[in-house]
Amino acid sequence: MKIFSVIMMASIIAAGATPAAAHHSAAPFDLETQKTINGTVKQMDWTNPHTWVWIDVPNDKNGVDTWGFEGMSPNYLGRRGWTKSTLKPGEKISIVYRPLKDGSHGGMFMSAQRPNGEVLRMTGQAVD
Amino acid sequence: MKSTRKILLAFVLIVFVLAAIATTAIAQKTVSRAPTAADWAALARLPDFTGVWEISRGGGGGRGVAPAGPALTPEYAAKRDALRASAPEDKETANCLPAGMPAIMGQPYPMEFLMTPGKVTIVIEAYTQVRHIYTDGRPLPEDPDLKFHGTSIGHWEGETLVVETIGFSPLTQLAGGIPHSGNMRIVERLRLTGPDTMSIETTITDPRVLTAPYKTNITLARHRNWTIAEYICEENNRNFVDEKGKAGVILNNPGGLPQKKD
Repeated sequence: MKIFSVIMMASIIAAGATPAAAHHSAAPFDLETQKTINGTVKQMDWTNPHTWVWIDVPNDKNGVDTWGFEGMSPNYLGRRGWTKSTLKPGEKISIVYRPLKDGSHGGMFMSAQRPNGEVLRMTGQAVD
Repeated sequence: MKSTRKILLAFVLIVFVLAAIATTAIAQKTVSRAPTAADWAALARLPDFTGVWEISRGGGGGRGVAPAGPALTPEYAAKRDALRASAPEDKETANCLPAGMPAIMGQPYPMEFLMTPGKVTIVIEAYTQVRHIYTDGRPLPEDPDLKFHGTSIGHWEGETLVVETIGFSPLTQLAGGIPHSGNMRIVERLRLTGPDTMSIETTITDPRVLTAPYKTNITLARHRNWTIAEYICEENNRNFVDEKGKAGVILNNPGGLPQKKD
């Protein structure tokens, strides 16, 4: 996981920006911190200007909290192997994210991993 | 004899004045004439800019390469510093306001070039924008409306398309954090540097703001298999920057339109 983070950081630095830089600044997000959270996909919004992945995360009251993660746009991801059904409701997922500074339940989607170990990256070279 | 000459002279003068008025009127109105078969054929002899292009740097996320920042006059250096001191946490693009020129040409999204008789059109995916570049010989307007993309005309210098643009909205910036004076002028030189590569050299002049022309270069790659995608920024924009300059994220109403709280 640590090696993966290093690779992610390197690719982000190589791209010259945080993944979301084009549309808005990173001001609401804590770019110094990277966290991982596990949950069940509730839905994926395949929308502009950003995709949003909503996951249900068990809380300490025997219930679930819905967390939201902002990702790159469908336009950007669609040219990098993603589709609107890459993440399906009900599947277990582990998301690496940069948290919101105000502590609310969400953050900037950096990458995700499925239980089988498959890693889903947000950045990378576009494919023709 | 004398009076006949006078009348003749007056008549000639009137004809000239009328012709001048007529020419001015036409120049202001800008007549787009119907293209002929010869006009379409002439297009085939121009360098082929058509297709979908994207800035080729690091797989997107890249912007126009700015080797050195703009050299500012003392007046505008002071303005930049003042703006920086009270800078909001984000740009208005966070609220879905399009970037305008010149920043709109540096987005990490593709642009499609279309060539038709008398015109080059750039369909810009980011924020669903379009630039209209008239190559039919019309002049730039003397008193242009102020627009996000200004008003553009173009002409060919050999294989290079030279685009001149004036008349920018005060909501656009010369460069990040630097306003323009209202007299910004942008000249872009576009040329193919390979079968599927294009170079755009951009020179910005604005004497009240800049002590020297500000030049940037970008390289684009053509993606023959791509199409322009839809980009409706208001579809699900959960980012915002408020009137106090505070940037934030709206997490409510997943799957629907985010509801901003008051």
